[in-house]
Amino acid sequence: MGLLSILIFLPLIALALILALPNTAKSSYKYIALGFTVLQLGIALYIYQNFQGAQAGVNILSDFQFLEQASWIRLDLGAIGKLEIDYLIGLDGISLPLIVLSALVMLMGVGASWNIDKSPKGYFALLMLLNTAVMGIFCALDFFLFYVFYEVMLFPLYFLIGIWGGVRREYAAIKFFLYTLLGSVFMLLVIVGLYFSVTNPETGAHTFNMLHMMNPSNYVDGSFFSFIANYHEVLGIPARLIGFIILFFAFAIKVPIVPLHTWLPDAHVEAPTPVSIILAGILLKIGGYGIIRVCYSIFPDMAALTNWWLALIGIISILYGALNALAQKDLKRMIAYSSVSHMGFVLLGIASLTAEGISGAMFQMISHGFLSAALFFLVGVIYDRVHDRYIYNFRGLAGIMPKYTACVAIVFFASLGLPGFSAFIGEAFVIIGTFNAQSMTTGIPRWMAIAGSAGIFLSAAYFLWTLQRMFFGQTRLQGGTAWASALTDLNRRELLILVPTISLALILGIVPSLVFGKLNASILKLIDIINPYI
Amino acid sequence: MITLTHFLLVSACIFCIGMYAVLAKRNAIMILVGIELMINAAILNFVAFSKYDKTNYGGQIFALFAIVLAAAAVAVGLAIILNVYRHFNTINPKNMHELKD
Amino acid sequence: MNELLPISPINASVLIALLPFLAFLIQAVLGKTQTSGNISLVAIILSTTLSLFWVFPAVWNHDQQTLKLVWFVIGEYDLNVGVLLNNLTVLMQLIVCIIALPVHIYSKAYMKADPGLHRYWMFLSLFCFAMLSLTISINLFQSYIFWELVGFASYLLIGYWFTKDSAVQANKKAFLVNRIGDIGFLIGIALIYSHVGTLDLTMLFGPSGVFNPSSLEHGQSLVIDTDASWRTWAGICFFLGAMAKSAQFPLHIWLPDAMEGPTSVSSLIHAATMVAAGVFLLCTIFPLFNATVLLLIAIIGTLTAISGAIFALGQQDIKKILAFSTISQLGFMMVGVGIGAWDSAMFHLGTHAFFKCLLFLCAGAVIHEMAHLKKHRNLEFDPQNLRNMGGLRKYMPKTFLCMSIASLALAGFPLTAGYLSKDSIVVGAFEWGAYHGGWHMIIPITLIIVSILTAFYIGRLIWKAFFGNFRFADLLNTDHTMREAPVLMLAPMIFLALCCFAPAFSLQPLDYHASWLMQGLHVQTAYPAIPSAHLYIPVILSIGAIVSWFIGWKWYTQREYPFSTGNKLVQLANNQFYLNEFNEVIFVNSIKRLSGFLYFVDRKVVDGLTYLFTNLIQSIARAVNWLDKNVIDGLVNMVANSTYYLGHLVRHVQNGQLQGYLGFALTVLILGFLYLIIK
Repeated sequence: MGLLSILIFLPLIALALILALPNTAKSSYKYIALGFTVLQLGIALYIYQNFQGAQAGVNILSDFQFLEQASWIRLDLGAIGKLEIDYLIGLDGISLPLIVLSALVMLMGVGASWNIDKSPKGYFALLMLLNTAVMGIFCALDFFLFYVFYEVMLFPLYFLIGIWGGVRREYAAIKFFLYTLLGSVFMLLVIVGLYFSVTNPETGAHTFNMLHMMNPSNYVDGSFFSFIANYHEVLGIPARLIGFIILFFAFAIKVPIVPLHTWLPDAHVEAPTPVSIILAGILLKIGGYGIIRVCYSIFPDMAALTNWWLALIGIISILYGALNALAQKDLKRMIAYSSVSHMGFVLLGIASLTAEGISGAMFQMISHGFLSAALFFLVGVIYDRVHDRYIYNFRGLAGIMPKYTACVAIVFFASLGLPGFSAFIGEAFVIIGTFNAQSMTTGIPRWMAIAGSAGIFLSAAYFLWTLQRMFFGQTRLQGGTAWASALTDLNRRELLILVPTISLALILGIVPSLVFGKLNASILKLIDIINPYI
Repeated sequence: MITLTHFLLVSACIFCIGMYAVLAKRNAIMILVGIELMINAAILNFVAFSKYDKTNYGGQIFALFAIVLAAAAVAVGLAIILNVYRHFNTINPKNMHELKD
Repeated sequence: MNELLPISPINASVLIALLPFLAFLIQAVLGKTQTSGNISLVAIILSTTLSLFWVFPAVWNHDQQTLKLVWFVIGEYDLNVGVLLNNLTVLMQLIVCIIALPVHIYSKAYMKADPGLHRYWMFLSLFCFAMLSLTISINLFQSYIFWELVGFASYLLIGYWFTKDSAVQANKKAFLVNRIGDIGFLIGIALIYSHVGTLDLTMLFGPSGVFNPSSLEHGQSLVIDTDASWRTWAGICFFLGAMAKSAQFPLHIWLPDAMEGPTSVSSLIHAATMVAAGVFLLCTIFPLFNATVLLLIAIIGTLTAISGAIFALGQQDIKKILAFSTISQLGFMMVGVGIGAWDSAMFHLGTHAFFKCLLFLCAGAVIHEMAHLKKHRNLEFDPQNLRNMGGLRKYMPKTFLCMSIASLALAGFPLTAGYLSKDSIVVGAFEWGAYHGGWHMIIPITLIIVSILTAFYIGRLIWKAFFGNFRFADLLNTDHTMREAPVLMLAPMIFLALCCFAPAFSLQPLDYHASWLMQGLHVQTAYPAIPSAHLYIPVILSIGAIVSWFIGWKWYTQREYPFSTGNKLVQLANNQFYLNEFNEVIFVNSIKRLSGFLYFVDRKVVDGLTYLFTNLIQSIARAVNWLDKNVIDGLVNMVANSTYYLGHLVRHVQNGQLQGYLGFALTVLILGFLYLIIK
């Protein structure tokens, strides 16, 4: 049992423990969850410390670190051949930062769940299950294993939103579930198609191993997805293009892109604060991660072919999300739309196919992970107190909640890309990378970079406008004196969660090499894989 | 000359009359009478066929036995009818559905 | 000095920037308890001392010194950060320090007893840190970072009185307008990065930099064609950044509103240092610009100078006049850059920093007293409005004196520092215009007109505030009177007033070429000098100024004001040609409407598609359900029902009647017999 397996399955022990304890030990659940997530974070940090940034990974198995390989399912299917599914997990520069991010955001999520009193047993059990699934997704290198974790992730989320959510929780939960499932079901088709197209060069059997799928020479000649000799075509469209598009849409729903984003505002608005934190902090990153790990690495030819469209979608998401955020009157919905806008930068950076752009996109994912988690947490603070999030119902909060206002202002400014905070590095390099794309002839025109930077301006607009409307001016509250007394400033627990998050955003903004140092080799390798097809 | 066939013919007639009474009569006592007629038709047949057993007279003896039994059965039957009358206040079998499912 | 301070100028310059940051951190940790500002003050005193006595003498007119550290590696590019010390950067750092120090001292008295004072000192230190770091950045990316940070500090300080709606609106506006410029800056950086592959200032613009092909002896291989279109675009992008920060027309709209901040802040940030950062940036990257961009800069600068001056003419708010005056003077500096004489621009930046800061501090002293009076007497009036002042020279003679000196400097009166620097730009522009000929002469002529207008509006301010009769004179008595500003405020003002005189910059008070600053930065211009221009332009300017003062004196103190109150032209100038309203209608509202519309689209169309999809699936499901119920289940039910009916028919036999049973048995028996017989 390697370190990664421990990292993945540790929450399952917590899950068993929580389920085993009787309901009378209700108050201990959160401590168990907290203890295990802290332990998990410790392991993640240890892994981070021992990770060699020079090893690229991506498509070379031996370059992966903390690698674990075991046969999982072996079935003799007679004429079709042997079914070969491995338990294959490992880390490279692309997955490592996300693993650490997940461990951190999970800890935040547990911290934010402190006041859950509606059947805490089920709640924390589901949270732990989600934790396992998320960790598994980022580690899995076998496509089948990846898919299993991907589906397992859906299940706890559905219940977490559907049971512990707000007024329209059932609607939001079902919408979220169906949207994601729609993508993943089609993904399964492509997985099967890939399985029958690729053989393991050692055993000659078909395989689900993603790394084998990345090597063009492993494709069976004339198979559905083969692409050395000639492209298989369906209705005149190359099969690989169809496969790429299907996989892209599966992950794009998670990112989310416009116009497949409508599950996000609903899910965020209805989900309880901790679930919003996890949703924005980790789950959206699975989309970006999937595009890099799966779509780009397995279909590098199609990545080079379609990147103009991907960048266009990114631009649309940035501007559309930002403008929508500007129109919101519900604070949480505004932040949900700002997530759409900020994740658009991720797509734009990935599509630029330049080292700066993709690194920037990865950095933006990490940074958005912290910052959106902090933003949702901050909304949760005010919602906890007065059960209202309507922007116009608040005014001049700075007068009665100075610490809260300071935190909000810092996180807002960090999110809108103030230098010194992490989002700035991410966004700036996405823009620079996209700009550079023309010099690198990856096919992204410069106006896209300029349009993307207009998103930076708009994000400043909606964040500052919100600051002005809710926090400054003379104090005036919808709920009158009852609210004024309910709106107490941040307490110790909330500060304990917020301060480290804000400092992390700050540290990453000042020392970006914490991420880039581990990331660079992998990104350059990825560019190398795609470059021949440009 | 009166042959066995004549006896059997008479017996069949009596049986049929008894059968009719059992199936068609709306009075339990008449049904009982019909049963008695059918038994007597059988007894008549016993006696008629006893000509083939001239050593033991099994037919006659069985007839006597049957007469005694019939008498007993009539007694029991009348007792049942009396009780039915007490229970239903009628002895018309149409009005009794207790055997229905 | 070396024995006293065993640190290199590089480290010292870093220390200069970091000391205020340290002060910021300490105050952030201490929070509300720290209101005296002593920490910030100590930090800035140390910084100024270091800058003035150690870094500046060590670098000025010496070789440039650099320090480069790899900040992080992205892809294959090493991003360097570090310190660049040359004449330009140390000069700028020194100016910032020397302006910041008096403002700090002044603030101690000016801001006394304000409830949020701990924030004030915190933000002020943060600003000093960002500004001082900006001056010595070696990398454009690094500059961009501090560029935004000064904007952020300015945002915080404009909105310092956050309960005031106008202040909050103003700081939002300032930040957003600056954001437009920042995007320009960022795109400029991206352009340079993608074409040259480095953002290091020394490698780009140094003696052997890619944009300095004149000194290629170091084997620099990459030479950029001057007329490359991307170079024009990059220049325009950087200029856009500078336009927003330095309030150039039409992005100047944030600066007048920014006067909502405390006056001390206005003097430091929105008059002397931050707004000049745009000019400083353009000077730093000057070799990048080609002729097209330079012409554009000159035109925009001229436009800004004239529009700022016109807007300043009719304002009633004392701070607004100064704000527009700042805009106008920044326009002068831009023209300096545009005509290629960026040394003149820096010179004017330096002198302007002193006299404009002083003007604001004097205005602050007046406002302070007016606000005091208002509070004391429970009056309702605007303490910044000129109409409420008048005759103040009797009550505040020293303030009056300081302000007059600053005004003379602003108007470019001989013997003042402003005379030298303004002349250097106007004369330079004249020479430039004469060299290019034709319509280019419009620019120097406009500048001369603007100079005269400048003298007029600043004269108007002096006449209206300090001459004539005080409106509330009858309210003053021995118990409460308008007093001279306290020593803590007066001392910085006097210091700055001394710096407004020509000797601070040149021992030869009539020739700007002799100034140490111009000699240190000396730029070789392409156009020839016209010696006669050095004579008659200053004369024209001085005579024009005196005439305009006389007119102002006639109009404002002798009550011979020629315009009616509702004069259309005056209204137009006062409302900045309705530029704000125009923006509100064209940009703000359209973006708001667009966002509202897109949200509508999002809910109705995009989410509508989801609903449509859902409904479609649901209808299909309903159809299938109907099919299932009526056709498939119908078959099953038919079998069941027919069996039932059959059973129902036979059921009649089981009627519970003995006779029935017997009859049935008989029937069957007979049927059996019949069967046997027939068989």
